[in-house]
Amino acid sequence: MTPLPLLLTLSALLFVLGLLAVLTRRNAILVLVGIELMLNAANLNFIAFWRYGPPDVDLTGPLFVLFSIAIAAAEAAVGLAIILMNFRRTRSTDLNRLDSLHG
Amino acid sequence: MISLLLISPLILLAALGAVWKARPVHAALLLALALALVAVLYLSVGADFIGLVQFMVYVGGVAILIVFALLITRPGDEAEEVARRPRSLALGFACVAPVLGMLLYAFSQGLPLSTADEANPALPVQALGMELFENSVPAVLAVGVLLTAVLIGAALFARDPGTKPEPPASR
Repeated sequence: MTPLPLLLTLSALLFVLGLLAVLTRRNAILVLVGIELMLNAANLNFIAFWRYGPPDVDLTGPLFVLFSIAIAAAEAAVGLAIILMNFRRTRSTDLNRLDSLHG
Repeated sequence: MISLLLISPLILLAALGAVWKARPVHAALLLALALALVAVLYLSVGADFIGLVQFMVYVGGVAILIVFALLITRPGDEAEEVARRPRSLALGFACVAPVLGMLLYAFSQGLPLSTADEANPALPVQALGMELFENSVPAVLAVGVLLTAVLIGAALFARDPGTKPEPPASR
């Protein structure tokens, strides 16, 4: 097995594990854990195609990963701030209790 | 290649633990482990700079932020969570299995034919810096603005509305 299929399989499994966490967790912070896993799977694909893809590619893959990491950090900070704000109001991080917009 | 074969199962095991564990703190710590192992994987495939950035931002920043958020929020009913976890995991797996099949099928059909064992050259940091600050300056500035907005927004969100800032002392 060459490195590219190995890395792509790893990234697919990592993405699916993240999706599993997003679908099955009730705690909002642990849903963020799943989202981070999915973002890492996408980054892994960029690196895999840059390193083991067609020869003589430019540096677009690593550049995308750098921007993606910066945006993932921003997403985690805002997400946790929103979760904390909601925790102060409802005293819970359970997603099933987020129903105040329910008609 | 050998390092890839060694690190990949460890990453998957750590990520599986992060998804499987019912206790939130265990899940967050296993996520930190998985992210650190992905950084090691980047180092081993020659993307040294990306690996170090991943280590500093994800392991040092995001994972620790998640652990702190878990520490200052009250966990839900853990016994109930442990009891319902197998059933929800089984249902969730039934939902994600088609996604996994589709991804693997797409990879098996769409791989470029020119993939070879020999890799492209390792990441030249100088070239990456030139690319960032010569050709991608608008994107770098946009990320700077985004991060500033996030800093202000997160501080405003997390601020306790009950405490008003002290008025400046009058002279």
